[in-house]
Amino acid sequence: MTTRADDRPEFDPDDPIAVILRPTSDLLGPPPRRYEAIRRTAARRRLLRAAAGVGLSCAALALVALPFHLATTSDGPASPATPLAPPSATHPSPDPDPAPRPGGTATPESSPTPSARVPETVPTPRAPSVPGQAPDERTPLRDGSAPGPDTPLRQ
Amino acid sequence: MKRSRDKAASELFAALYPRLAGWCRRLVDDDETAHEIASEAFTRLWARWTSVQEPRGFLYVTAANLVRDHWRGLERERKAMRRVTSEAAVSPHTEQADPSVRLLVQSLPERLRVPILLHYYADMPIREVSVLTGRKEGTVKADLHAARELLRAHLRRSLDHTR
Repeated sequence: MTTRADDRPEFDPDDPIAVILRPTSDLLGPPPRRYEAIRRTAARRRLLRAAAGVGLSCAALALVALPFHLATTSDGPASPATPLAPPSATHPSPDPDPAPRPGGTATPESSPTPSARVPETVPTPRAPSVPGQAPDERTPLRDGSAPGPDTPLRQ
Repeated sequence: MKRSRDKAASELFAALYPRLAGWCRRLVDDDETAHEIASEAFTRLWARWTSVQEPRGFLYVTAANLVRDHWRGLERERKAMRRVTSEAAVSPHTEQADPSVRLLVQSLPERLRVPILLHYYADMPIREVSVLTGRKEGTVKADLHAARELLRAHLRRSLDHTR
């Protein structure tokens, strides 16, 4: 350790303070591979610090951007729709209330809407038949066997 | 770029580690702790290598803070032991550290300790200490003077106790 006479305040050699502030003469050499270990640890800490910095930046960015995002995506309170005016009472209703007349028979079944009717039977596929003849009118053969597709029918 | 930085780090380590570890050994009880403290100081330095202007001063101030933490830890341990066991069973702790340097670090407030460490132990001129601490040169000189007076008073008291 160098001594700077211009910098250092004057010390009396007997001054006990000079003992305390004496230069360090002890040297303690590093253990083997200590340098590499310190460098590795420092690199890991640098990496961790960088990762933490990036994470914090992202979080801050998200906090800033989130209100803007929410403001743009939601349309805000829905604008009130103009209410429909009720039918005026001065004009007669073109379609008077179809109240059942006494004595009359209401036949709601007589005018069903075709779309509302559900077919009761599901059509089943039919076997191929001779044109012009209904399959149920097919006449059995005299020998009692059913006619095949290629067998001519006898009238 | 990286290679030159590695080279600078290696040179700094070779130049400063033995002295820093030796200084730590005067303050703590054993070589292993001294190595741990010196290593931690270097690790902290290199973890923020680019932002440290004066590595020598940084190392000494960091090591002094770590030594202070080490003493606090020891003190806590000792108190806990005293609570657990009977006081008579515990022998008084033998002070292996250099009492004079210990006095330096222990008795001075940080404001005065840092200039002393930088000027006397890190071997930095007052001008550099002034730049590093952000104080005027006159202020640094006044701090050094105040620190010396404080140390002198502490030393006188401890000498009176031993007589």
